[in-house]
Order: sequence, then C-alpha cells, then structure tokens
Amino acid sequence: MMGRFSLALAMLALAAVAGCSSLGVKPWQRDVLAREDMQLDSDPLDAAIDDHLYFSKEASSGGRSFAGGGCGCN
Amino acid sequence: MQLKPRVPLTQQAPARRRLMAASCALLSAGAARSEQTAPVDSGLLEDWSVDSALAYYHEEGRIQAIEPVVDVAKVFADGQALNFNVTFDALSGASPNGALPSRNPQTFSSPSGKLKHQYTTAPGQLPVDPDYEDDRIAVSGNWTVPFTRLDQVTVGAKLSAEDDFFSVTVNASIAHDFNEKNTTLSFGIDNEYDSIHPIGGAPVPGSDYAPAEKQTGGKTKDGTGLLLGVTQVMTRNWLSEFNVSVDRFTGYLNDPYKFISIINGAGGTTGYEYESRPDQRTRKSAYWENRVAWSSRISTASSLRYMTDDWGVRSDTAQLHLRWSLSNRDRYIEPTVRWYRQAAADFFTPFVLTTQKPTDESSDSRLAAFHAMTYGVKYAQKLPGLGSRPESEVSIRAEYYQQTLDVRTAVPQALQGLDLYPGVKAVLVQIGWRF
Repeated sequence: MMGRFSLALAMLALAAVAGCSSLGVKPWQRDVLAREDMQLDSDPLDAAIDDHLYFSKEASSGGRSFAGGGCGCN
Repeated sequence: MQLKPRVPLTQQAPARRRLMAASCALLSAGAARSEQTAPVDSGLLEDWSVDSALAYYHEEGRIQAIEPVVDVAKVFADGQALNFNVTFDALSGASPNGALPSRNPQTFSSPSGKLKHQYTTAPGQLPVDPDYEDDRIAVSGNWTVPFTRLDQVTVGAKLSAEDDFFSVTVNASIAHDFNEKNTTLSFGIDNEYDSIHPIGGAPVPGSDYAPAEKQTGGKTKDGTGLLLGVTQVMTRNWLSEFNVSVDRFTGYLNDPYKFISIINGAGGTTGYEYESRPDQRTRKSAYWENRVAWSSRISTASSLRYMTDDWGVRSDTAQLHLRWSLSNRDRYIEPTVRWYRQAAADFFTPFVLTTQKPTDESSDSRLAAFHAMTYGVKYAQKLPGLGSRPESEVSIRAEYYQQTLDVRTAVPQALQGLDLYPGVKAVLVQIGWRF
C-alpha cells in the first residue's frame, strides 16, 4: 500500500513542478473563483464538527489539514 | 488585481472567509484561492466577523453530545489576520466498553470502581458503560502574517481540556504563491502534547480486568505532523487542492477504558483483559479536493482521501457536497454524501481465546474493518447584517451517519446468532449563525 502513497507524492511533485504553468486564469478571470462556494474552506465550522465526529468514530483523520485531534475521544 | 465577482466582495464577509483560510486548513492560505480585499480597519469590534454553531449529536442507544462553537476573525488593513475559536462539548450516555455480547448477563464496574457504578449487561446485548460522561473545552488561535507579496506565514496554538485529558498543539505553516497566483505551495508542521489522567488510574496494557491492576500517575503521548500541499486554479470554474501528510504519535496510545472478552472454546466468557496497543503510530495520507462551479447556481466540492498507517489500517474516503443557490444567491441548499471504509488494525480482535496471549490487542470497533455512509443536507439563508456589517447568514443542517462493521472473525458456535457487532447509527443536527 506504500505504492499508493508514493503515487500521491509523485502527483503532488508533478503538479507543482510541471503542470501548473499551463493551468490557471488571468487576474481578470477570477470572478467565479471569488464566490463564497468556491472557497476551499467555505464552511469551516461544519468541517470542524464533522471532522470531530469522524475522529471519534474512525481510525482515520486529517488529510485536509493535520490529523491530530486534541481530543481524548480516540 | 481582479474583477469584482457578481456579489461584491464587501458583501461576502471577506474577513471571515479569509481568516478561516488561515485557521482551519494550513494549506488554505494562498492566492490560488480567490483574493479578497481587507475591510477598512476602523478599530471597532464590529470589524470582527463571527461564525457560530450549535450542534446536537445523538447515537442510537449510545451517547449524545451538545457542542457550541464560536469563531471570531479579523483581517487587518495590512493583510495580517487573527482568529480565535472556542468549542465546548458536553457528552453523556452509553459507551461500548470493548467486551463482546454473551449468552449470560455480564457485570462490570465503571472506571471509578465504586459499587454504585456497577452495571450489568443483559444477555445478547453489547456491553456499554451507561454512565459515560465527559465535558471538553477547546480554545485555539491563529495569526497570519504576509511577509512578501507572494508569501505568508501562519502560526497557531490550541488548548483542549477534558476531565481526564489535556492537550496542547502548536502549528506553523508557510505558503508561497506563483504562476500569477494560480498556484500555492504550502508546508506546515504541528506538534501535539497530550496528558492523560484516566479516572481510576491507567490500567497496565494487557492486564486482567478483574484485579484491575492500575498504574499510578498520568500518561502522555506526543505527536508531530507534516503537511505538504499545492492549491491550483485549473480553470475559471475549477479549483483543486492536493495534500500529502505524515504524522507520528508516540506514548500511551491505549484507550484506558476499553477491555476485551476472554472466550473459551464453548463460547463462554471467562474474563476480560485491558487492551494493549503499540506505543507508536505513523500515519500517511493523501487528500485531493476539487471545487467546480457548474453554473451560476450550482457548484460541487468533492474530495478523495487515502490513509495508511503502520498499525495496518488503510482507509478510503469519498465525499461530495452539492450547493444549489437560489434567489440570487440569497439562500442555498446543500446535500452531502460521504462514503468511508477501513481495513482493521493488525492487532484488532473482537475477543481473545483462553489459549491466546497476544502482545498487542484491541477490540475497539474503531480499529475494526467497517464501512460507513453519511447523508446530509444544509439550508442557509442570507439576512441583513447587524450594525455596520453588510450581511449575516443563518443555517440549519442535518446528517445521518451509519457505520457497518465488516468483522469476519470466526466465533464459537454458542455466540453465533448474537448481534456481536451492531455498528453505529447517529444523527447530527446543527444550527449556524454568521455575522
């Protein structure tokens, strides 16, 4: 299963080094990206409450941010 | 420089959105997301944006929790940003103690060991401690400082306290924008220090439950996490984020209140022993999220996550939010679905046989193989702002979470037919208010 994680790491490096320069928009094309629903953290409290629920019920956590929970519930 | 969106930025509570970027996801800070203008810094309290929620969580036949959360945030004229968060949890109800259902009544003691806290589980029922109760309060703060036009640093700290647990976490991250601010590279590190003081003392891992061989003094565990990510504007309507993270915890990683049934060949319970987990754990995860605006009214946020650790747990997670905006974006409905599955930890076992003496063992269902589904819906309504604020938002959402265990361990014939692994069914209801 290390293979999948290594693949993810390779994808990250590839995206950062090679692919990004051909992607993107000009500054005057950011109207849709400025919408509230297009923000990666548009509902931070919802995400935090959900993450706490899943942290206390499952063996996985994090991904979007750090995995630690600061909670004695798991 | 950018064009104004359809809804003026000043009406989108920019301070809140910008500060949540700093506080809730270290990788979130960056221009690959949209840029927002800082509000005029008048120095008044009204400049702080407030995001609050009250959540009620209820598990069928288990615990319930009430969780109020308040987050205040402010962006200063020079681009610096501050936010503070206070979360309170009040939990009560019944919590599984790790033992297996039996054909006979089973009697246990609550962690305090007082006679009045003894409880008996009926035949065929999953043993749960009916007197579980805990309160948690957590406070956190984050400070973001841009130090060039393309770079910013965020530092933060979090304190969390429960009756038997205290945790301190510090974090720092740096984000760099390039490619005309279409790409943001981020790197973050956090350190967590936990102090555990189990009620009644921490049991010796693997020790017999009946003599309750407790250890004295508190226990600790520490963890360090690293997170590396890239946020990329793909097109005018598509934003993508990709993270990889690693964290390592060492110390007392047991659940001090969980024990395991000892079963003889006939299926009878002969006793119990406390769980014993390894004293270190390293997790790795990859996370990919995409935000796509399909039209002026409809957008989706989808994510995939893969996680693996050296305990043998592997998990896959897929989640989809669909936001449907109505009435010129004054309100929206957002259905959600999430799928999750995990493989069991190597040392998970629902019971131990009298002939077995494993080095590491746990019957905690959270380390078992299972899959889970979440279905949810949220409704939000924009309202006129309070005071000088341009707008506010009220919302309500509900979620249903169902966890189904996939334990395949063969059991003695006498236990067959019992519902040994009932899983979890839970409902979450939350109201929110932003202003």
